[in-house]
Amino acid sequence: MIYIGAEVIVSPLGDNAEANWQALSENRSGIALAQGVGFNGEDIHLAKITGLRGPLRFQQLVIKALSALSRQIDASILSSGKTIVLISSTKGALDDNLHDQFSETCASVMHQFNLAHLPMVISNACISGVLTLNVAGNMVEAGQYDHVVVIGCDVASDFVLYGFQSLFAVSGQPCAPFDAARNGITLGEGCGAALISSTKSVFQNAPLELLTGASANDANHISGPSRTGEGLVRSVSRTMQKHGIGNEEIDFICAHGTGTVFNDEMEAIAFDRIALSDKPLNSLKGYFGHTLGAAGVIETAVCMQMVRNSMLIKSAGYRNAGTSRPLNIILENEPKRLRTILKTASGFGGGNASLMIRDL
Amino acid sequence: MKVITAYCNLSADECLLNGDVVARRDAGSEDSWFKQIYRQQGLGYPKFYKMDGLSQAGYLASELIKKASPGISNTYTDDEIALVFANASSSAETDRRFMQTYEAGGSPSPSLFVYTLPNIVLGEIAIANKWYGENMFAVLPKFAPGFYLDYGQILLGSGSRALLCGWLEVTANTTDVFLFLVEERESGTEFNTENLLHLSQATSVATF
Repeated sequence: MIYIGAEVIVSPLGDNAEANWQALSENRSGIALAQGVGFNGEDIHLAKITGLRGPLRFQQLVIKALSALSRQIDASILSSGKTIVLISSTKGALDDNLHDQFSETCASVMHQFNLAHLPMVISNACISGVLTLNVAGNMVEAGQYDHVVVIGCDVASDFVLYGFQSLFAVSGQPCAPFDAARNGITLGEGCGAALISSTKSVFQNAPLELLTGASANDANHISGPSRTGEGLVRSVSRTMQKHGIGNEEIDFICAHGTGTVFNDEMEAIAFDRIALSDKPLNSLKGYFGHTLGAAGVIETAVCMQMVRNSMLIKSAGYRNAGTSRPLNIILENEPKRLRTILKTASGFGGGNASLMIRDL
Repeated sequence: MKVITAYCNLSADECLLNGDVVARRDAGSEDSWFKQIYRQQGLGYPKFYKMDGLSQAGYLASELIKKASPGISNTYTDDEIALVFANASSSAETDRRFMQTYEAGGSPSPSLFVYTLPNIVLGEIAIANKWYGENMFAVLPKFAPGFYLDYGQILLGSGSRALLCGWLEVTANTTDVFLFLVEERESGTEFNTENLLHLSQATSVATF
């Protein structure tokens, strides 16, 4: 069995999973209006971490998350030759060193935590986090490593904000995934972490089971979602088949839900095609914004908290149905025993990835 | 056994397929080096002209590998070929060019922004071939045979039947591209560290 646990979330809502859970359970969002930050000096809604300033912001967040994780596990495994750290990120420390966005952070983390291996960076746009969790599970399953720490991290930058503005993809209001009036993303920054291991006893709190999944490309467009949801359909179908999980076993879907018209529509089509439209579903982007390479890890960590706390969290920003196929969007928090959760992600480059988390 | 059935090396002035030179850079040409290869190989894919250097390099090398292994699109279903790529500098060259568009008094360029992610080249290859398989892009300090061997083993054990792997370092000063195809065969150039070191022409490597 592949275990996942010791989840960490560092976001505008707090520095650990418990503080973030408290905020989510009160439906507090980390999104706020930032004055004059847009390319033309516009005010823009962002989910920025107050107090995260200056140089080496990416490195600060990664180290903070790994420190928090190390306090929830048998920390002696970090320096083992059978442990590796995987970092999921799109733009890393771009603001510190455009030409080498990861090396300094990897070297610092290796040194500070006395790791046996240099951390490996996986950079697959917005599916990076889910893909990296799958890679971690696969590495443990194949016996290549006994323990894999996954850290997903991206920080807010003018670079990414101006880029999404140039695509007219930034929402004028806090993003509203799956809502009829949605009109774009809200960018966020944050860091999520979790330990994936074959050994239950290295976790201080009970871990959950990671059911690793498949990725699939849309083979359609580098920056536009598929009109048919083909890649997402293939990814989810293969993930469920791999573990012999039927639709009736899925208790909840933590969707990607960026808040753009086309992404959310694509997801609705895909879930309809595989007869999962009736499952309770949310997007967490209304709380954290879109944290890019961190999103899949942060959102999976929230899924784990939902299982631990037996609670469905409402999809922030959603009011009226806004996709051509119906979805069962969670309108209010609801206590519910959750056993099996499906997490999905889709992104630039046509990537789609999915995984499942199961309570033990 | 797992065998390297085709490979392509692309440097600043030479392009080799299975070790044989198929194109040499014409320093006097007005065309970029990648455009020279595109024309010389008679490729007809106008999207090529919109791609950044990383995607052009990946597209060209994957098309050459298909010329050396023309059967791959028929041998495998559309999601059985996994793409496993890596480099050292992510999309830094395009990142720099995108940044210039808004720092020099102009507006940020959306057509450059969409290439400011290293995995876009995987999307371009998937689109060009209608391949729906597994994708992975890692950023590693140097070419790392162990990365391809370990992750390749995982993919080949979970539904993928062939791997198109690549090291794609394309910056203002560097063109260091090595793509290779891994398939199941009775015999041939085994997919192992020694052969990857030899065929890649890498002068130094990282261990993973």
